[in-house]
Amino acid sequence: MNTLIFLGVAIIMVPLARKLGLSSVIGYILGGIIIGPYVLKLTGNNVNDIMHASEFGVIMLLFLVGLELEPRKFWEMRKKIMGLGLSQMALTILLLFLVFISVGWRVDKAITIAMCFALSSTAIVLQTLQEKNNLKTTAGEASFSTLLFQDISVIPILAILPIVANYKAKHHDNEIQILIQKLPEWLQAGTVIFGVVLLILLGRYVFVPFLRYVSKSGMTELLTASSLFLVIGVSELMVVIGLSPALGAFLAGVMLANSEFRHELEAQIDPFKGLLLAVFFVSVGSTINFNVIQKDPLFIFGTVFAVLAVKFVVLYTIGKFFRIDTPQSFFYAFALSQVGEFAFVLLNYASDLYLLGPEMNAQMMAVTAITMCITPILLIINEKFITPKFIKEIPEEEHDYNILGSDVIQKKIIIVGFGHFGSTVGRLLKANKISATVLDRDSDRVKLLRSYGFKVYYGDATRIPILRAAGIEDAEILVLCLDDPDDNKFIAELVREHYPEVKIFVRAKNRIDAYDYLNSGVNHIYRETLGTAVDMAVDVLHETGMRKYAARRMGQRFMAIDKASIRKLAKMKENDDDITLFTTKEILQREEDLLAYDNLNFDNKNWEGSSSTDEEDEEESQD
Amino acid sequence: MKKTLVVFAHPYLEHSNSNVELINFYVRHQHYTLRDLYEEYPDFHIAAFRERKRLKNYERFVFQFPLIWFGMPPLLRLWIDEVFDRDWLKEGEYNPLEGKEVYILVTTGGKERSFSKTGTYQYTIDELISGLIVSLKVFKADIKHIKIVYEANKLSKKEIILHKKEFTELLNQ
Repeated sequence: MNTLIFLGVAIIMVPLARKLGLSSVIGYILGGIIIGPYVLKLTGNNVNDIMHASEFGVIMLLFLVGLELEPRKFWEMRKKIMGLGLSQMALTILLLFLVFISVGWRVDKAITIAMCFALSSTAIVLQTLQEKNNLKTTAGEASFSTLLFQDISVIPILAILPIVANYKAKHHDNEIQILIQKLPEWLQAGTVIFGVVLLILLGRYVFVPFLRYVSKSGMTELLTASSLFLVIGVSELMVVIGLSPALGAFLAGVMLANSEFRHELEAQIDPFKGLLLAVFFVSVGSTINFNVIQKDPLFIFGTVFAVLAVKFVVLYTIGKFFRIDTPQSFFYAFALSQVGEFAFVLLNYASDLYLLGPEMNAQMMAVTAITMCITPILLIINEKFITPKFIKEIPEEEHDYNILGSDVIQKKIIIVGFGHFGSTVGRLLKANKISATVLDRDSDRVKLLRSYGFKVYYGDATRIPILRAAGIEDAEILVLCLDDPDDNKFIAELVREHYPEVKIFVRAKNRIDAYDYLNSGVNHIYRETLGTAVDMAVDVLHETGMRKYAARRMGQRFMAIDKASIRKLAKMKENDDDITLFTTKEILQREEDLLAYDNLNFDNKNWEGSSSTDEEDEEESQD
Repeated sequence: MKKTLVVFAHPYLEHSNSNVELINFYVRHQHYTLRDLYEEYPDFHIAAFRERKRLKNYERFVFQFPLIWFGMPPLLRLWIDEVFDRDWLKEGEYNPLEGKEVYILVTTGGKERSFSKTGTYQYTIDELISGLIVSLKVFKADIKHIKIVYEANKLSKKEIILHKKEFTELLNQ
């Protein structure tokens, strides 16, 4: 029943929040507050159970973060991640710690809270960046790097918290910690290493073959089931060894980031993550304790202000230090100034370890939620009032027209189908160092191609989530090379409907296929029966005694005329079938006539059959 | 302003230093149509009839290309072969080049003094591109000016812009 209410309030609140320009997370939290015990009193006593259940959302989020974190990509960003992330974490923790100590908190409490509050919200920031299309800007990249480092540092923090707790008191009855607590202290570190090694071995030798085996059955439900099985299984396993399930999920993600199942897993887990996170956020909202805030508003808002101010100053300074320009630094600093969702997990964990009392826990939860609600507002202020002041009006004069696309390499390309056709396309691109994301749904072929060093992913591209996981949202080119023309057609239509910006290049079997594509607005069509057949005919012509160059010219002319005529026929195709038959005959005759002439003795009027668009433009301006 | 067709041929534009800068002027002005031959006919299959038809629409022509092994780029050569038509000279036929102003802009990596009777190469640039010049003269085109940019691969951006300015001023007269 509670879940139902949670979902219901999410459905109502999120569009509302989005309309106001706020991130969906705010919508969830506000929704949670409304149904919570202080407003509508809709939620019962078992909110905590739901919260625990939906913490799986966070685990899945970490799994997905791990999936994104291909070791090599991580390596390329290492300087940014280390530089920005480490300095942000270290400085923020230090400053917050000093602030907390100076107001007279206990040392362990101050450290715990400083660590929890140094983190920013991946969900809020990434959501905002995506909504505003800012991911590729300097500030966007800096934010992403910092968040990445923070996401990783959750793991050491999870490991450090028990040590901080041990420092103070030895007894606690947390069942998660049972196994690890029974071991002598020097062995506790050992379990961490053991867990990591175990996961790496599992990832190497068990996960991928297991997924390959499942994918051979070709059933989508089975893949969904095994993806969930994998994530939940790993986190349960970690609980048994006494490690954090989030850490396990993250490591499992990293292990699978290089496998061909990356996009498939992403597509499978993503909806569950979204759903569970939504429930999680709503439950967070519903547990915000307004009594606590009412009791000591000065303390709560004082802390909120201190946290925001410290984080802002640190981020802005780092931004400036790393030579990010002023408006971008402002954006970076405002965007990351809130306390993140991991703080909820960490705070709960810390109070399980008796580091925080229940009251302190509730207060800090409230602080976290309030900062999360404030940053979107700060961002709006930044966008409306601060950034405009720094925008300079100097469009570079000489560079506005550059015929050579200098950013050829940055375009994102997805190739679907990597059989004999698609792999030829892919190899030529690869030879020119143009990288593409390749999807194929034959798991044997994917395995084989991977062993040759191709980056091919397993996934059925006829499903929009798979395409989304492969990055169709910011892709510029989609290359469809599947054997089955119906599948190509289906994907082309799907993508044109959802992502009209993407340029589609499609493999077509024959003329009849080509008509369909032309009529549905796809312009880059490659008939597999055209080029090769023409090549063959050219060679046969040569064999009959024609000079090779002359034969080649004829072949090229044939292609040009044929391509033009197919466009013409496609337009007529929508009309009556009899007419089509008649015109097809007529046009074929005309093609033959056209070919009978070469450039050297050609009359203008015969050329009209294959007019191109820019020619028509020129005819209009002839007067 | 005269409606101008710029016939531009450069097989290695991505490695060019000066031509990239020199052509961006045409793109920006509506009276100029830039025909980038190597981009339009990558497979060397020239749509000769379309080209012939287009020529009629312009009052002025610019030929711009780098010197490749002491001659014009092969695609420009082919373009001339396929597009220029002896029939234009026949009685009663329309000759799209007759009396039209033509400007030629050639870039080369060589030094000015190398291209002279006594220099390293012993031939002047006019001689090396004489195929184009004579063809144009046969069709009674009015060659106004041949501008040559020497040492084009070593010029600084400023020098290139100066060359561009000089040439555009010539065209704007």
